[in-house]
Amino acid sequence: MKRRSFIAAVSAAVSLFMVAGSAAQAADYPRRPINIVVPYKAGGGTDAYARALAAAAQGTIDVPLVVVNKPGSGGLNGAQSALGARPDGYTIMLTSGGSFLLSTLTRKTRIDALESFDYVAQVGRLKTSMIVPANSPYKSVHDVIDAAKEKPGSLRWAHSGRGGFHYVAGLGFLKANGIEAQDVPFKGGGPARAAIMGEQTDYGFIGIQQIKGFEAQLRGLGVNADKRDEIVDSVPSFKELDIPFANVSSPVLVLAPKGTPEKVMAYLEASLKEIAAKPEFSELLKKRGTAPVYLAGSDAKSAIAQMKSDVLPLIDGLKK
Amino acid sequence: MEIFSALSFVFATPSLIGAILLAAVVGMIVGATPGLTAAAAIAMLLPITYYMDPLFALAFLYVIGKSGRYGGSIAAILFNTPGTAASAATQLDGYPLARQGKAGKAMKTATISSVIGDFMGDIMLIVGVGAIAALALKLGPPETFAIYFAAFVVIGSVIGKSIVKGLVSALFGVLIATVGLDPISGEERFTFGTFDLTNGIGLVPLMIGIFVLGEVFDQLEKRQQKVESLETSEHDDDHDGLTWKEYKPCLPHAVRGGFIGAAIGILPGLGSAIAAFVSYGEGKRRATNPEQWGKGALEGIAAPESANNAVSGPSMAPLLTLGIPGSTIGAILLGVFLIHGIQVGPTLFITSKELIYQLFACGLLGIFAYGIIGYFGASHVAKLILRIPSNVLYPMIFLTSFIAAYSARGSMFDVLVMVCAGVVGWLMRKYDFNTAAFVISFVLAKGAEESFRQALLVSDSGILVFFERPIALAFLLLGVGAILFRVHSMRRERKRELAGGLEDA
Repeated sequence: MKRRSFIAAVSAAVSLFMVAGSAAQAADYPRRPINIVVPYKAGGGTDAYARALAAAAQGTIDVPLVVVNKPGSGGLNGAQSALGARPDGYTIMLTSGGSFLLSTLTRKTRIDALESFDYVAQVGRLKTSMIVPANSPYKSVHDVIDAAKEKPGSLRWAHSGRGGFHYVAGLGFLKANGIEAQDVPFKGGGPARAAIMGEQTDYGFIGIQQIKGFEAQLRGLGVNADKRDEIVDSVPSFKELDIPFANVSSPVLVLAPKGTPEKVMAYLEASLKEIAAKPEFSELLKKRGTAPVYLAGSDAKSAIAQMKSDVLPLIDGLKK
Repeated sequence: MEIFSALSFVFATPSLIGAILLAAVVGMIVGATPGLTAAAAIAMLLPITYYMDPLFALAFLYVIGKSGRYGGSIAAILFNTPGTAASAATQLDGYPLARQGKAGKAMKTATISSVIGDFMGDIMLIVGVGAIAALALKLGPPETFAIYFAAFVVIGSVIGKSIVKGLVSALFGVLIATVGLDPISGEERFTFGTFDLTNGIGLVPLMIGIFVLGEVFDQLEKRQQKVESLETSEHDDDHDGLTWKEYKPCLPHAVRGGFIGAAIGILPGLGSAIAAFVSYGEGKRRATNPEQWGKGALEGIAAPESANNAVSGPSMAPLLTLGIPGSTIGAILLGVFLIHGIQVGPTLFITSKELIYQLFACGLLGIFAYGIIGYFGASHVAKLILRIPSNVLYPMIFLTSFIAAYSARGSMFDVLVMVCAGVVGWLMRKYDFNTAAFVISFVLAKGAEESFRQALLVSDSGILVFFERPIALAFLLLGVGAILFRVHSMRRERKRELAGGLEDA
């Protein structure tokens, strides 16, 4: 009696498992939830794009998009995990393209930003900025430069991980102005912002959108760009302030592991184009301080190739 | 107060109430089943919650944690095997009571005390968490590291029977945690050139392996040994009913247990089991009838049961405000927050205040749900568990753990990790190593290393930064104090054992 019920239970469980397995093989794409790997912690700028994408995808893609955060090592951790997944379209990566490219160039890694992944599309753009705690003695970028000149190496600055574009922009800023300061890496923009708010560091290089919702705790001193940000337009640009800087920004890219079927790639690209044009996508992004910027996969790839040739001379000096 | 609007929101959402009721029942069954802990159940259910609304997912798992801590008392009383480590203290008086035919009384006392403790803990959390969060924002890497340190020391040395084996287990956890990429520089460590290892060892497969698979292996080995159990159905109402007169002397023990549990809960890493034992010891010391404790005193159930549930609420404080999980359940909940894009830490109360208070409201409701279900239904749950033969139960758990480990990330490597962890977990149990210390230190090690190295980067004076900042110093001293306290009480226990006082055996 007991043995019979045991066999019944096991065979029931096994047959359930097999039915589920064969159904997944026979079905057309997409039949089950798609995992979007975000190689940064939840709460950062790249993560905001993935969340907005997942929410706005309803009605365009019939299955849920599940955001999976795999932070660490300037985005390489998540990239490695996405690369390790089967190229079946059920695991894709949404990443900060600039940081991703820079990490692959400055680190010892098997990943090549242009070769290891297939480019689905670009959905946004992130800019970095110099941000201080709200009651910091530094009222302007010049205050920070003066303080750093007075006591070289005594200032501490936070960023979201070595090798990322915020880090490179921060180092570029120091180099361009001939000053020194100690960097303190955090895992992602959210923890870096918390550290600046808690006055653990003197300033930080984090995404300009990170000020959104934290205006009482943070003060933006300058945007690392030629022009002001479209959403957070109260912070002047470095160019406007006449401060030399390294012009690095980061396109937000959706990538799929190399070898993902053509049909799947075409479906994803078309769906992303549709989602990027949706008003609810811009609405969701606006709340987090960013905006949609759509580019087709091939264009996004050539932009990264262009960026690669631009930054190669810059990062040669930064390599550690 | 945010909690009232949150409560009215929860009451206005019937599906959420349904989820809470379901969680209360699931938690109770899981907790009452020897060999299945609430942490294991939550780890297995985790993949399902990916597809749920964040509040649903969090409330569901949070209430399972609460209800599971309570459910452990059922197994402790009836089967003389604690359903969870947290109920090991309940067993001391619970089983003697069951043998006297008073299992019903004992279970009702456990229910009421759990509700009292849990409720006290949650109220303290709700009132105090805003202040803790504001303070947490001022805590930098040095303070964070000091808190990790305190958590480490305490888990490694307090939970286990042996300090050495506890510390070895914890060190092993640290070693496994360093596999993967360096948190500051991003270099590969202990990967042996294996691509899969560059991501480190996953928490979910590791936990399923250690807690679920390891336990199944362990039970497999013990199959011949029969679990002593008691038939309760034949007892008349006179024995199962609980009168106010009987519960009245338990009340002070329950309230004291509530305070002890809440205080211990707020410190990361201590956990329910310690709270229960401290409360039991303190209760016995202050009791008017200490000679009856251990032989079947209802007070001896009230004290530990209240304390182990009071841990539940306050242990969320370090998790929510600092992102430091104070328990294995906390570590899994951390994963749920991250999966749903909610960044746990000092800024949580700026970005997701509403959600947090709604979660607290669900917790309060969950307490009453398991309280009422438990008060009237505990003996039925017990019968149900007795009826499932272990040769059906364990194969089912065995299969489910494979599915759960695979589905978390869809990775076969994770399944391999789980199987290895299962063997490790079984061996650790067999040789009395501490699986909880292993897993918790695995979780803590990453954050501790990161904050330690960040602290050194922030510091102008090197390692002295930990002594210059008062909060950091306080937590370091707390950690050292915990070691000394533990060594002291271990010595005392050993002396007593030598004197031949093995009364509980």
